[in-house]
Amino acid sequence: MELRKTTVHRVTEAVLEGEITAHQLIDKTLKNSNILNEGLNLFNAVAGVDAIEQAKAIDQKIKQGGEPPLAGIPVAVKDDLCYGVLPTSLGSTAFSEFISPVTAGAVERLMDAGAVVIGKTNLDDMGQGATTLSSPRGATANPWQAERTAGSAGAAAVATGICMLAVESDSGGAQRQGASHCGVAGLRPTTGRVSRHGLNAHCSSFARVGITAFSCENISGVLDIISGFDERDAATAVCRDGIPEHIKTPGSEDITIGYPVTAFDFLEPELREVFEQARDDFVGLGYKIKEIDLSLLREGLQAYYVIALAEASSNHARFDGIRFGKTGEADNLEQMYLQSRAEILGQEARRRSIFGTFLLSKGNYGRYYRQALKIWQMVRREFEGVLQDCDLVMLPTAKNLPRPLQGESSFLDEWSDDLFCAPVSLSGLPALTIPAGQIEQLPVGMQLVGPPFSEKTLLAVGSTSAPRPAQE
Amino acid sequence: MDNAAAGLEKAIEIIKIGVSDPERDQLHQELDQFLDWLETMLEVDTGDLEGLLFSHDAANVLRVDSPRQSDLAELQEAAPNFAGGFYLVPKIME
Repeated sequence: MELRKTTVHRVTEAVLEGEITAHQLIDKTLKNSNILNEGLNLFNAVAGVDAIEQAKAIDQKIKQGGEPPLAGIPVAVKDDLCYGVLPTSLGSTAFSEFISPVTAGAVERLMDAGAVVIGKTNLDDMGQGATTLSSPRGATANPWQAERTAGSAGAAAVATGICMLAVESDSGGAQRQGASHCGVAGLRPTTGRVSRHGLNAHCSSFARVGITAFSCENISGVLDIISGFDERDAATAVCRDGIPEHIKTPGSEDITIGYPVTAFDFLEPELREVFEQARDDFVGLGYKIKEIDLSLLREGLQAYYVIALAEASSNHARFDGIRFGKTGEADNLEQMYLQSRAEILGQEARRRSIFGTFLLSKGNYGRYYRQALKIWQMVRREFEGVLQDCDLVMLPTAKNLPRPLQGESSFLDEWSDDLFCAPVSLSGLPALTIPAGQIEQLPVGMQLVGPPFSEKTLLAVGSTSAPRPAQE
Repeated sequence: MDNAAAGLEKAIEIIKIGVSDPERDQLHQELDQFLDWLETMLEVDTGDLEGLLFSHDAANVLRVDSPRQSDLAELQEAAPNFAGGFYLVPKIME
């Protein structure tokens, strides 16, 4: 059974009907993951015996009459989400042996439904980045072109067919850009839909837990399972009495897609052509297109970085070698802190923490941080405004094709890659990345952004429209 | 030393991260680039607009005030060093 060519529903059905056992499925998956991990650097840790034991337990449950809705489905978990069986490195060598006493809420729900965690996927330094280039374990290669970055190892694991789902964090766009670069679908949910319990966020205001899968259909199959109130994450209180779904029947001419004309001016011509074609394809499918203006993308990106860096400087304060992380060797207390923190935080995390502290200091707080909070408000209102006139907005996901593994790029070049994702993070709205086309044998993704809790509409539109790039 | 450079030195000092001299020099250059990059954000007229503080409307969420017993043994097992009823940490008093 090739996982890339089937669906979560079909695999679950096969396991429940005895065509294949969960044990056989996971055994095969683990063998594939070992082969592909060597070439692409997908996993920081791979589950062996534990995954097999989980699979056997699911088979036993089925024998006893149970019908777990995700029976035996192999899942990858990004390594900033806690999982009580495998180490959670957070993207730091200092935590390469840390096994959390908790498992992230979203992961727990998938496991309760019968899914099996097969490994923890690679990520940038303390989860900060959308390339994996700053990972202390080296970057993850793109399964389409191995000399380029995958953006996200979870997306790469899904694209190769090792697993059917990846649970991933997304702050400024790592999950979405990974999905775009690897030609798969990635959903960043509305704030409060999916629990963030067990997520080690560098940026609490914008970090969300999303699902990446080979198709919109596969995401739809698990959305209800991972959604809902979790008393360990106050943001999910909006779902305490049920998910306030915002559903509009897709495929009809009643759906209007907002097309932010000037946003595409930021793109190279060949990328712009991909989105013009995608827009025309939507028209061909019967959707209405309305030209809109999103005038604050660049400033939204800048505001995101001011706030994200400020929050990182605070969130990383606990990594001091006493409360968390290995204690550095030093003669006195001051040196011990300096040494420990320099070892725990890599170059990217150090840069962000130091700049964040700078931005929050006297004189800079009012000039930069307060202005960023106001821009956050403006960006949110701008998105709310355009969604008064249309049902969803289409945007590029990544500003560029995936970066070469060996290329030279400045930190600002890499931060600027988040141009289309970070402002959406500020909006708090759900965003679905789907394949839009291809350039130079590389997939290019687009985002569909909708009102709060419109994920089911986005997925329905995405599944009718997405021309999936073919890769053998 | 200009204000930004002095501010960066202060930030490095208070955040307690050891940086080498070459990294320190690089950070100074990068901060200048970063602040230049932020200029267009500063030019936006935000007037009297209130800044946003939360990304969601679920503020002051309370749970039922009922006592629950955590699994202390599990927590103690997760600690790097636990003995005699204490979580042992490196010495922090000089």
